[in-house]
Amino acid sequence: MTTEERLPCGTRLEALLAQVAEGEPAADPAHQASCPYCQAALRRLERHWADVQALAREPVTVPEGLTARIMARVHALAEQVSDSVILGARRGETRVEHRAIRRYVQRLAAGAPGVAFASAQLQPPDTARPHRVDVALRLVIVFGPPAARVANGVREILARRIPRFTGAELGQVDITVADVAER
Amino acid sequence: MSGQVDDAILVEAAQEGDTDAFEALVRRHRNAVYRVALRMLGSPADAQDVTQETFTRAWRALRSFRRESSVNTWLYRIVTRRCLDVIAARTPAAEDLATLELRARESGPAESVERGERLRAVTVAISRLPGDQRAALVLREFEGLSYQQLAGVLGITVPAVKGRIHRARLAVLEQMEAWE
Repeated sequence: MTTEERLPCGTRLEALLAQVAEGEPAADPAHQASCPYCQAALRRLERHWADVQALAREPVTVPEGLTARIMARVHALAEQVSDSVILGARRGETRVEHRAIRRYVQRLAAGAPGVAFASAQLQPPDTARPHRVDVALRLVIVFGPPAARVANGVREILARRIPRFTGAELGQVDITVADVAER
Repeated sequence: MSGQVDDAILVEAAQEGDTDAFEALVRRHRNAVYRVALRMLGSPADAQDVTQETFTRAWRALRSFRRESSVNTWLYRIVTRRCLDVIAARTPAAEDLATLELRARESGPAESVERGERLRAVTVAISRLPGDQRAALVLREFEGLSYQQLAGVLGITVPAVKGRIHRARLAVLEQMEAWE
């Protein structure tokens, strides 16, 4: 079988293959309907092509644990550039990495009423105030409640919980509403 | 959480270092990436490695992702290139081994014998294609990419894509005839 192959009736095999694989219409339907060579070739191509299509329909399952392995590597790469806040303590200092605080902020914001998705960034640490964090949030909010009310609700939750959970002082909370999602 | 959120929002967040947003992208696109790797390489073990490398590379390259193409086109590009590298580095014996591995794994006891054999014959036929044809065929027939999308992923013209796919289809059908 080659690209240039022609049937004894002169029909190019390429045209028949395009018909079978791409669903293109026959170039000469009247000829095809009455030509035994075309019909035999079509039957042959359709039978084999059906096997390719059957393989395409076979479900492929992603192996268990693959996502966890991918994310372990990503987290390792992300850790290489990690800031932290420093909390005063009587017997030594406690460092809480921005990554950990960002995760608290993101989870709390994502769970706030009216929020469909939250992404949090912490501003680079201020060496003069090493226990303070400034946060920038991007939210996708659900359709319905006013954006300002949702944003204020997020600020209240963060102000209440971030110091309690992390020990860090919460400074600025800048919020961008990036999109609105359907409920 | 991320079901309703656009890829663009997740990418923007991930570009700022948000690993949760990146994980949402991984969960959303892992099936397609793994499927391409499996169909191109034939070996589940190699497909897992390549899927892992694809997303690790994507994370590293996020800042340079300009969003001129969609996330899935970008990931298809990365996974295809990586698969082509693996194929190029394989010895003929390793290629045969990969095919045998897939043959063994895809045969289940409940599967009808003839159907299973036909699917394996297609798998073997695809695994014998040159890498560039294999990539074009897998992305077209298994992932349903348009010729235009394929040209973007493979970095070639639409007529060149059509030529590759046509040659790949003929080669597969020829092998199926010989198998029968």
